[in-house]
Amino acid sequence: MRSIFKRNKKKSSSKDRQEDSQGQSKQPINASLSANLDVIKQKTGNSSDIVFRTLKMGRHSEIKAAVVYVKGMVDSQAIHDFLIESMMNNRDLHEKLIREKTMAVITEEVVAFGGIKPVSGLDELLSSLMSGETAILVDGISEALIASTRAGDKRSIQEPTTQLAIRGSKESFIESSETNIAMVRRIINNPNLWVESMKLGKVTKTDVSIMYVNGIAKDEIIKEVRQRLKKINLDGILESGYIEQLIEDQTMTTFPTLYHTERPDVVAGNLLEGRVAIFVNGTPFVLLAPAVFIQFFQSVDDYYARFDIATAIRFLRIFTFFISILGPAVYIAATTFHQEMIPTGLLIIVAAQRESVPFPAFVEAVIMEIIFEILREAGVRMPKAIGSTISIVGALVIGQAAVQAGIVSPAMVIIVSITAIANFATPSVAIAISARLIRFLFMVSAATFGFYGIILALIVLTVHLCSLRSFGIPYMSPLAPFIPTNAGDTIVRKPWWMFKERPRLMAAGNNVRSGENQQPQPPEDREIKMNAGKGERNES
Amino acid sequence: MNRKWMFLLIILISAVFLSGCWSKKELTDLAFISAVGIDKNEDGKYVKTIQIINPGNVAGGLQGGGGGQAPSVSVFTATGDNILEAHFRASTKISRRLYQAHANLVVIGEQLVKEEGITDIFDAFERDPEFRPTTTVVIAHDTKAEDIIKTLTAIDKIPADKVINTLRTTEQAWGENININIQEAINTLESPGKELILTGFRLKGDAEQGKKMENIQSSTLDAYPEADGIAIFKEGKLIDWFHEEESRGTVWILDKMKETDVNINWENEKEAIGYHVIRQKTTVSADVKKGRPKMTIDIRAEGDIREVTVPVNLNDPHVLLSIEKAVEKEIKKEIEKAVQRAQENKSDIFGFGEAVHRSDPKAWKKLKKGWSDVSFPEVQVEVKVNAFIRRTGLRNKSYLYDMEKNR
Repeated sequence: MRSIFKRNKKKSSSKDRQEDSQGQSKQPINASLSANLDVIKQKTGNSSDIVFRTLKMGRHSEIKAAVVYVKGMVDSQAIHDFLIESMMNNRDLHEKLIREKTMAVITEEVVAFGGIKPVSGLDELLSSLMSGETAILVDGISEALIASTRAGDKRSIQEPTTQLAIRGSKESFIESSETNIAMVRRIINNPNLWVESMKLGKVTKTDVSIMYVNGIAKDEIIKEVRQRLKKINLDGILESGYIEQLIEDQTMTTFPTLYHTERPDVVAGNLLEGRVAIFVNGTPFVLLAPAVFIQFFQSVDDYYARFDIATAIRFLRIFTFFISILGPAVYIAATTFHQEMIPTGLLIIVAAQRESVPFPAFVEAVIMEIIFEILREAGVRMPKAIGSTISIVGALVIGQAAVQAGIVSPAMVIIVSITAIANFATPSVAIAISARLIRFLFMVSAATFGFYGIILALIVLTVHLCSLRSFGIPYMSPLAPFIPTNAGDTIVRKPWWMFKERPRLMAAGNNVRSGENQQPQPPEDREIKMNAGKGERNES
Repeated sequence: MNRKWMFLLIILISAVFLSGCWSKKELTDLAFISAVGIDKNEDGKYVKTIQIINPGNVAGGLQGGGGGQAPSVSVFTATGDNILEAHFRASTKISRRLYQAHANLVVIGEQLVKEEGITDIFDAFERDPEFRPTTTVVIAHDTKAEDIIKTLTAIDKIPADKVINTLRTTEQAWGENININIQEAINTLESPGKELILTGFRLKGDAEQGKKMENIQSSTLDAYPEADGIAIFKEGKLIDWFHEEESRGTVWILDKMKETDVNINWENEKEAIGYHVIRQKTTVSADVKKGRPKMTIDIRAEGDIREVTVPVNLNDPHVLLSIEKAVEKEIKKEIEKAVQRAQENKSDIFGFGEAVHRSDPKAWKKLKKGWSDVSFPEVQVEVKVNAFIRRTGLRNKSYLYDMEKNR
């Protein structure tokens, strides 16, 4: 028996890393221009999209220089106007130009770009080049200038596609993290909004930035995020999902422990609560850490609508989450174990429908759920033109034909549809998918032990949820552990004038959110009312 | 995943799947019993009649479609030395597992309760984990319980529903019957200061015709069960039937009256004014003096005037007051009739004994022994009725009054 429990510990090898860092040993920039160009050409495999523009400077055109950039990733108009043009046609400049001072002169007098910096390492030069910056090399100088000319085609800012809101900003993030960061900055105009950037991915060297409000976000959490990001050693980071999976606290769970959003206002709101945002270049989805369970039921609309309405809708959402988990399970349990719980009239109807169905209720439910999941999966990736076909076929096959053929009962179709619709009502796709998966678990436990099984599974689920952490923060907080001052934004949404504190577990020190006496009131001065009344009377 | 987790996973999976669907009962494996009838045959054995719902014929709708062509229930009978034996013996005739959780009617044959009493019957129902203690009990009046169970009914497709709904409706609107369930019946049987009453159901028409589909295919039914009177028990045996005024008086005293009509005479005209009771409160209090209990029944009734067949000026408060007086008298008459007949039967169906027990426990200890045979028939009963007219319907003065005046 002992052997079963013996752990097979793998020897962790740090060899790979060492080799890797050795391979990137610093190679200095050569003094010879042609040698440098040759090295770049060789290192980039003579790629056709790299442009080498050589030119001559100086009184007698004796200084050879070159401008190197990657086509499509740079603002080529600007390079032409402010770099090449001014380097070539500046007669006065050429008069006084001496080779040794070229770099300084170019930096100070020629180039009209905002960002310009000298580099001496070849690798640094190459990575800048690859990220869309322009390198300026001068013959005889073992240094290069890097001008930030990053541009290229970007998608314009559009309406969000996954997190629609009835009220509120219509902006959504795009693929460029620079733009995304700027969009958040445009909302929080505060010097305390700090951004740190790093490049992740051995091969892709993707820009990853973390953003937080200094003084609100807890230092421990920022440090933890930074540390976890630094630990990532993957060849490529193509989407924030890569990072999400690499920095989670707990991997054995279906529940998301990081929140992702494509709305700048959501990011801004969460930053103000003390969260840290992680921007990844190449994806419109920004990660927010730490995430708590109830966050996935919060929608931006909640904060823009009045609190009573927001609370009612919040209730509804949590209720629908339970439907989407328990719907088929309750049906199975009630029809196969607890017939006495169904009112007689309803029971007779259900029984009449099930008379001709050849499967047990559990099998029927599983068949229907799987058919529905297939339909949904097919529908997600369908081109719009064919999408309607899927829905028609789906509706006809499972809604009509299957019922008429007596393979499934109409009640089951209703249950599956309600469950599916309830699932869509959850604002976050991440938790909705999680619910889809757990549903099957509940169905199995319902089919095995009835309501008793459902309760058991619910207990297991609760325990599991309470055991989860997101960057050290309990996943169920502020419900478990219960923090009364923060519980006002969970199942209920307190009115804004009662939001006194930021989430205590996340925000550091600076916890006070609003001033005193924020509750709006009718004017104290009776004059105003009387005058207002007079005004109306006068008009009429 | 290491081995430990694998091991736990295997245990979990086998625990779930090898245990199977423990105590699972599919809907298609169940025979839903809607009503149970208990009779006794010539051999002295119990005859249990089981009414089973035929879901396909009840629900109609998309599938099944047959609602109308085939009967909505099937009835089986089985005999046994006790009720349990009869129940399980029925399995020789029924293809599905008998499921009692939705049975909501027990009909007991008059002959059985007259000869043997009702006391032995309830244990089987109370003990059964499926059977509900809230199931209504009625007595088959002048028929066998079997016949009530077998009769097909219209409107309510399930005959058990028809019986219960009839009972509920008439209890609500007319107040001559009373809905007693198994639990209440058992509690009453246990109590020494109260005797059991149960509503009777009579089968109107031909029992044989009632079993056929044709019965519900015409507008006038050949046979149908009808609520008819209250069965009066003494020590678990049926001794008398109360009808009309007596049964209404009983319901008044038991404080179960919800709505009813009281008709009064007016100026030589019989039953000229219809008074509709909309709410009432009855309190029964006992007072024992020198070992002789005296009961006071205090009734406060409120209602509307809903019909007038004589020209009477309802605008006049004095007229209304005298109508109230007449109503009080009428109600009092009913109650006194009921008390008198119960005393004749020596059966304390009103729970006067309990009232004595509550008000004077010491005296009750002495009275308890000979309560129903000695003390109860001698009990003095004082009835106080307060009736109020709250509204006179949509009209106040009747057009009859104007006609009379214009003549």
